[in-house]
Amino acid sequence: MTAPCREACCSVTPRLTVSELFERGFRRNRAAPLPIEGAAFTDADGNTARFSVDITGEMIAGVCFHASSCATLIAYCEYLAEVTPGFRLDIASAFSAASLVEALPGVPALKRNRAVLAVAAFRAALVQATDRHSLQTEGSL
Amino acid sequence: MKVAYIFATQRHNVSYVLAKMILPQLEENRHGADVVGMFFFEDNNYVLVDGNPIGARLHKVAKDKGILLMGCDQCCYEREIADRLFEGVPIGCFPDLYQALSGNMPDQVITL
Repeated sequence: MTAPCREACCSVTPRLTVSELFERGFRRNRAAPLPIEGAAFTDADGNTARFSVDITGEMIAGVCFHASSCATLIAYCEYLAEVTPGFRLDIASAFSAASLVEALPGVPALKRNRAVLAVAAFRAALVQATDRHSLQTEGSL
Repeated sequence: MKVAYIFATQRHNVSYVLAKMILPQLEENRHGADVVGMFFFEDNNYVLVDGNPIGARLHKVAKDKGILLMGCDQCCYEREIADRLFEGVPIGCFPDLYQALSGNMPDQVITL
């Protein structure tokens, strides 16, 4: 069994196109941060991104972000926020900028470096979450 | 005088004002002003899709004269054309437009 296609050619919703991810991400970008916040990152163009996550055990329960109002950056951040909940922290940490670029076709080459910023900020939040989980685990021993 | 055009409304702007007025004048070097940039909103971005016949002429003139062409990023993503524009034509929003024009600032910005 294969997952339903969520690209522009099909009507399965929510679609994972840049445009629709931006629409949803624009709203998430205004939401209050989740309890565990990572460091803010800035790229050479002055765009910033900062992720926050919530965890249950070692699983990601929710993802939120605050990012500059660049459509490409917000779409990349929203993709991470939609796809990674339910992942274990160590598995989500392996998500790379290259895999993010590959997951969202339709972004022109000049804008793909936004994926580097998104992934760096996402990983920073995961580092904080991993530290928090480690402290909780040690505290329960 | 240096000018930049922003194609913000639709109707006849690309097929008439651009294709039948501005573009032929640029091709004939009689436009009367130095065009430093053109920015396209909404459906006007279709002129920038590789293979568009008006866009092909515009792309050639822009390369010859050093005119910046830029599509609105959100408009292009919404139309699924962001990665199908003529080679070297970027997408962006106002910060990208101002940055791209900063080295060759227009005296007038004309919204069409």
